[in-house]
Amino acid sequence: MWTQKLDLTGDAGHLPVERQLNRSPDLVLVFGQTDGLSAQAASRSLKTAYPDAHIMGCSTGTTIVGNQLCDDGMVAMAVGFDHTRLRSTSVRFDDAEDCRSAGRELGKILIDADLRAIFLLGNGLNINGSAVVHGLTEVVGPQVSISGGLAGDGARFAQTLVLDGGVPSSGAVTALGFYGGALRLGYGTAGGWDVFGPRRQITRSEGTVLYELDGKPALDLYETYLGDEAADLPASGLFYPLEISDPARPDEKLVRTILAVDQEARSLTFAGDIPQGWNARLMQGDPSHLVAGAEDAATQALCDLQNGDDSIHPTLSVLISCVGRRLLMGQRAGDEVRAVTRLLGEQDGQIGFYSYGEISPYPNSIVSGLHNQTMTLTLLAEVA
Amino acid sequence: MDKPLHSLLAQQLGDASESGSLNLEQFLQAINEAYAETDRQRVRTSRANRLMAEEIELQTDSLRAALRTSDIHKIRFEAALDAMPQALSLFDSGECLVVCNKMFRQLYALPADFKPEGRRLTDILAHSLLGDGAGTMDAATRLQGQLAMMAHIGIPVSIAGKIEQTWPSGQVIRISRNPVDDGGFIDLTADITESHSASARIAHMAHYDTLTDLPNRTLFHERLAAAVNRCGRSRNRRFALLCMNLDRFKVVNDTLGYPVGDALLIQAAERLRSLLRVDDLVARLSGDEFSLLVTNVKRAGDVHRLADRIISRLSAPYHIKGHQVVVGVSIGIEFSDDATLSADDYLRNADLALSQAKAEGRGCACVFKDHMHETVDRRRQLELELRHALKRNEFVVWYQPQFCVKQGIISGFEALVRWQSPRRGLVSPLEFISLSEETGLIDELGAWVLRRACADAAAMPEHLSIAVNLSPVQFRSRGIIDTVKSILRETGLAPHRLELEITEGIMIADAQEALQILRALKALGVKISLDDFGTGYSSLNYIRTFPFDKIKIDQSFVRDLGHSDDSLAIIRAVSGICTSLGICSVAEGVETDDQFQILKTEKCDSLQGYLFGRPTPVEATRKFYEVALQNYG
Repeated sequence: MWTQKLDLTGDAGHLPVERQLNRSPDLVLVFGQTDGLSAQAASRSLKTAYPDAHIMGCSTGTTIVGNQLCDDGMVAMAVGFDHTRLRSTSVRFDDAEDCRSAGRELGKILIDADLRAIFLLGNGLNINGSAVVHGLTEVVGPQVSISGGLAGDGARFAQTLVLDGGVPSSGAVTALGFYGGALRLGYGTAGGWDVFGPRRQITRSEGTVLYELDGKPALDLYETYLGDEAADLPASGLFYPLEISDPARPDEKLVRTILAVDQEARSLTFAGDIPQGWNARLMQGDPSHLVAGAEDAATQALCDLQNGDDSIHPTLSVLISCVGRRLLMGQRAGDEVRAVTRLLGEQDGQIGFYSYGEISPYPNSIVSGLHNQTMTLTLLAEVA
Repeated sequence: MDKPLHSLLAQQLGDASESGSLNLEQFLQAINEAYAETDRQRVRTSRANRLMAEEIELQTDSLRAALRTSDIHKIRFEAALDAMPQALSLFDSGECLVVCNKMFRQLYALPADFKPEGRRLTDILAHSLLGDGAGTMDAATRLQGQLAMMAHIGIPVSIAGKIEQTWPSGQVIRISRNPVDDGGFIDLTADITESHSASARIAHMAHYDTLTDLPNRTLFHERLAAAVNRCGRSRNRRFALLCMNLDRFKVVNDTLGYPVGDALLIQAAERLRSLLRVDDLVARLSGDEFSLLVTNVKRAGDVHRLADRIISRLSAPYHIKGHQVVVGVSIGIEFSDDATLSADDYLRNADLALSQAKAEGRGCACVFKDHMHETVDRRRQLELELRHALKRNEFVVWYQPQFCVKQGIISGFEALVRWQSPRRGLVSPLEFISLSEETGLIDELGAWVLRRACADAAAMPEHLSIAVNLSPVQFRSRGIIDTVKSILRETGLAPHRLELEITEGIMIADAQEALQILRALKALGVKISLDDFGTGYSSLNYIRTFPFDKIKIDQSFVRDLGHSDDSLAIIRAVSGICTSLGICSVAEGVETDDQFQILKTEKCDSLQGYLFGRPTPVEATRKFYEVALQNYG
């Protein structure tokens, strides 16, 4: 298995993309600004250059490659596998009845006896990421790990794109299946956010829409806490993620992040389910705690990948971090990427993006789900 | 610089130096932006902390308010629990007491300084002072207490359970246990001693007569049915059924009042009880009606002897509230010899035998015979005809002359009722008087006879008197005085010409009341004569307490004259007493001249009998007071 960073700048000082590799990749990952991705130049040239490769990618406000964060331009990573087969597919939402059935559709195409894992990229707006993962899991079973993320658009929340067969689409979910026994995978996800303030009850909600906490409009609470920054909703809402938990299983916490607000309904739309009757607490981030969260995720992922065998190192590391972390940490966002690199070791195959939702198995569980406000890592390596 | 660069500054410096030389503008912009970010972060954090503090303050306030409300609820809840008449105890899923009320501590006698909360039931019961007297209890009582405790602890929780137990203290306790949703249970313990004994009393009342505390008709019927059932299975289980009525009880009740009647029933019941074997059952069915079930009858003779003992014991005088009361008892007996009969059949047969005993003069026992059914039918038919007879005017009054020895003339007549039945011919009073007494017809019949006799006498010469018999039943009916008064007025008969004949039976029940009636009658101017003297008690006391005008010596003594010296002695004595007291003596049943001579010698004032004339219709009486004068003048 190998990886090689591709330069898509098109500068005169760089080789054209088709001449940057002397071998044929099986997979090319590409992340970039929404406007850059929608221009299709990069994706088209990648498709022409590597017609046999699965080209997967999505929009984001900030890309990650190596140790670097970049708020403009596009990054790409070519990946070649020695023993692992790949199969990709995508579903457009208008083809599917809903998110859950979209997940099921993907699963039906990908399912196979030696299906090991699925990497998923979905649009970041108007999506119930939890439902997609549930639908997919229903078909492939919980033993198949699912990771990935939802496309981002920085603090704008205007448009997100996913490459569907190499073509940018604002209404698709794309999935890549990994097949074969040689692949080693490692997952890690952690937030590092701190809960604060009183515990509240979700007294009215529907799917991903939260109407009331403790019988009062949820948007009122956010506006109160945000003060002047309420004008920047929904982006500023990311400063206060919501930790939710089932009263019957109070130790299993989930973190939800805001995707949209409805001023009339005084409601907030989150990236995942907000079950009525559950408990909720506001969270706030301290940059150093978020960095510690990223370190935690990296430690989990490496441990998971190695599974006791220290000789295994990740060939490809996909870092998907929440846009909320980026907004809160500002210039210090680079600290969390550097912290991850420090733990995983310097390597060429590190790429990622700031997302509107992260997907990976829950810590200490094989079941996958949607996470918010986390640093989520998917590590890949092949063994002979 | 001594200290290493802040990581952010190092990053900013690195970013601004990418081209090889420091881009100062970019560097300063990054620093400036970092300060602004830090400021925003600080403002955000400070705002969040302030709001959070406010929210927590509000929540604390409302929590305190809720706690105050909860305290009030707790006080009310405890007051409600403590006001409960039952002991309540709530246990958690670990079977430890969560809450109990005052009655729980009280009923289980828990020491004042003992805190049952948090303890298991076994532990709590072990602390109860209920068993404190254990040292003084006998082994059985101690065991009873221990068993009750074990039963209490062992009530199942899964389903609602309920037990009743008696504690060594004698308290009857009901404990109900109900599961609670959280896996615990709640016990309600109630002292139901009172309601238990009330239930027992009610159950007793359902089966026992409240006056005599003898079994009642219901219980008797149950036992009889059981005996019939046993007898049906085994012929060896022969039983006898005795039905009893107290003779003259109604008289006692009517004359002495219900309190005396009730006391009499109680004493009679007591006497009956004393005569029974353990297995026998005596019941009061109603009024003066008692029944006796004698089981395991070996010989009929045993039952007859028992009946005799009952008659003898119950007929002995009773002393009640200053009165001496004498009643008899009539008994009907039926043996379980016919396996096809039901309990009701046996009762009916014994009742028929009782009727027969009464018909045979009371104070005796009769065994049921099949023909009694026919007797009853005949009696019922007779009663029916008797009622019609009054309406159809089938009764006639015949007159038997009375001879005045001193004057040698017929001085009057005794009126005697006869029934000229179109179906039966002339019927003797013996056949219908007692029946009309039992059926209540006697009042109407008696008044009719009196009116007829008075009317007939009014048409006779004035020196002739008319004697009319008053049945005891008729005498006791309160209207007798008014009846006599109005008949005298209607017929115009001079009161001194009317003689009312009574028997000593009227004196036995309540002599005082009888005397009052007699005095009232006498005050009307009529004469009172004591009939059938010499039979029954013939207490001389009667003669002393009331100034009778006449005493009629029973005809049995006259019949024996010439054969028995005793009869002569009695006649002589009575006649002597009458002479001394200025009472007119009358001898009845004079049939021969010898008898006439003796009675004349013994100074009987008046005589009556076939020798002087048989009873005749009124049309035929004329010859007595016209012709007979010459014969005996």
